[in-house]
Amino acid sequence: MRGGAIPLLAWACLLAVLMAGNWVWTGDAIQVGAFGFAVLVIVLAAAWLVATHRGAIRRGPPEPPPPGRAEAAPDLSFAAVLAAIAVASILFGLTWAYFLVYFGGGLLILSLGRLALEVQAARASRELHESRSLPDSAEQERGP
Amino acid sequence: MSATAPAVTTVSRASSVFGAAASTDHKRIGLNMGLASLVFFLGGGVMALLMRTQLAQPHMQFVSDATYNELFTMHGSTMIFLFVTPMAMALAIYLVPLQIGASSIAAPRMVLAAFWIWLSGGIIMQLGWLTQEGAGRSGWFAYVPLSNSANTPGVGQDLWTVGVILAAAGLTIIGGCVLATIARRRAPGMSVMRMPVFTWTQLVSALMVVGSFPVLILAMALLYAERLGAHVFIGYSGAIDYQDLFWFFGHPVVYVMFFPFLGAAAEVIAVNAHKRWFGYAAFVASMLAFAALSMSVWSHHMFTTGGVTNQYFAFTSTALVVPAGVEYFDMIATLIGGSILLRTSMLFALGFFLQFLIGGLSGIFIASPVLDYHAEDSYMIVAHFHYTLFAGSVFGFFAGIYHWFPKVTGARLREGLGRLHFVLLLIGTNMTFLPMFFLGNYGMPRRIADYPSHPGWGTLNLLETAGAGVIALAVATFLVNVVVSLRHRDAAGEDPWLGHTLEWATSSPPPRHNFERALPPITSYAPLLDLRQRAADRNGAAMTRVPAGRAGLGPTPQEDAP
Repeated sequence: MRGGAIPLLAWACLLAVLMAGNWVWTGDAIQVGAFGFAVLVIVLAAAWLVATHRGAIRRGPPEPPPPGRAEAAPDLSFAAVLAAIAVASILFGLTWAYFLVYFGGGLLILSLGRLALEVQAARASRELHESRSLPDSAEQERGP
Repeated sequence: MSATAPAVTTVSRASSVFGAAASTDHKRIGLNMGLASLVFFLGGGVMALLMRTQLAQPHMQFVSDATYNELFTMHGSTMIFLFVTPMAMALAIYLVPLQIGASSIAAPRMVLAAFWIWLSGGIIMQLGWLTQEGAGRSGWFAYVPLSNSANTPGVGQDLWTVGVILAAAGLTIIGGCVLATIARRRAPGMSVMRMPVFTWTQLVSALMVVGSFPVLILAMALLYAERLGAHVFIGYSGAIDYQDLFWFFGHPVVYVMFFPFLGAAAEVIAVNAHKRWFGYAAFVASMLAFAALSMSVWSHHMFTTGGVTNQYFAFTSTALVVPAGVEYFDMIATLIGGSILLRTSMLFALGFFLQFLIGGLSGIFIASPVLDYHAEDSYMIVAHFHYTLFAGSVFGFFAGIYHWFPKVTGARLREGLGRLHFVLLLIGTNMTFLPMFFLGNYGMPRRIADYPSHPGWGTLNLLETAGAGVIALAVATFLVNVVVSLRHRDAAGEDPWLGHTLEWATSSPPPRHNFERALPPITSYAPLLDLRQRAADRNGAAMTRVPAGRAGLGPTPQEDAP
């Protein structure tokens, strides 16, 4: 992820310059507020990238992942689909039939619970895989 | 080696419909989103045909005035929220991880949930057709006070508002995930200045999505509150505030609907000219500037309201020609000296650039407040944005489809049917939208269900309606091409076009985790072209057709055959 934050910060700078121009020229609170929101979102995203990996602010290509590191990749997630349908159900219920708000709320709680289990299972699988593959990679590094 | 560590599958794969619907494979989600968008495109197209039938001659009354209002509102909303923008996102979901050498997209569960949120929004929006008062009918921008409950009563408009909130929320989440994918999951060796041109266009689009779409969600939430009886947008200043919030999304989205297709057309041109995309660094800089400027031009939609500072927005709107000029310069320079193959994808890419030019140049006219006062709310505006979004983006979309169809399905689309599709679409597009410039100049207002029998108006409108029919024929030809090409497959192989980017370094369609063998070394934004050039240099082979040092390998042996 090396360098990942650089385009975001470059773009946020450009946007900030244009926002300053808008502020000076128009002085419109709504316009400056909307502009400021966009700049803030991008700066926060860049800050998050830098906080999770210092290399995000440094130039150069990304490094290879450390040996033995695995990543959990689920093939399916019914919980994610149900969570989405729950959110849609709540909003649809507000407009059409109020019982759908309760239905959606219940479904959302269930799907988020299921999602938490999925994430937990994925983490366990990854840790198991890493614990199995680490000795192999350590042997490979030691060589014959 | 892909960008990320080896993947451990944690949930078994299902081959059923449910499996396809709940798959977290970015390719499956991208495909689902693309197919759903295409269905909405067909629906939006039917609405356009109904409108054009109504306007074929004066006093037709094919549909009622109220239905006409619903049609133009839902046509615009469908095309923007449910076709062009999500199709751009679908391309990002499918292709960006492949182009940057990643094994998957970032936060695949969120992308999956976002797809379903967007799709639910689209369905809810269309459910308005089934209500007694009809679907949303206050324009795709739903200006206040026209869209409040006093002026547009009924559940249909509420469903429209909720549908837009959901669709925008889904697209925003996807934009964030695309951004995270590009920032965090690039393959070793792929620095930001080695990312393919298409990925750059998706990066700036994602930046605009996360920066501007939440403002639309806020505007729609406030509109919903207004419809429930809260006094949010009061009087003239309230109306202007709503327009500011709406267009803060509404103009950037035009570029979200443009940049990815620009990237697709750029990839197609570079590959079919057998040359590296010219001026990469300038292109990247111009994309960043283009995206930033396009976030700062929104109030040119409000020049005639008297509520905004026209000078600032005229300045930024006119400044857009500079980065746009850089992109056109790059495109022309890529073509010069290239060994050009006029495949269907290339025809569409060239059509994209040429026709978008008409949309862009007419945009410079109306970026001037003085001229905009003349053109505002006339068919001149309709012609302008259809030349950018239909004659531009949709041509870029088809360029991308013909280019990447073999990667997605493993089969090529038929060239003969493709050329017929291109010719019909080119004729239909210009028959439909070019006369609109003249009608607009003559003073025909937009969003009217009928018009007076002024000399020439009926003829031009009839021509437009005939053009819309030709467009429908072109789209039907495309669908036939897809069916024929899938039923009688012309196997494409891994890299049928001698592509430049990493998606062509894997099987067609790609496996679950994208790359099953080591990626080639990434030394530039065209790693496969580098690889072929190095191999050719090593073997001492002369480049075919193209002067040495300037291009990649020439056409495939089959294409060279007489």
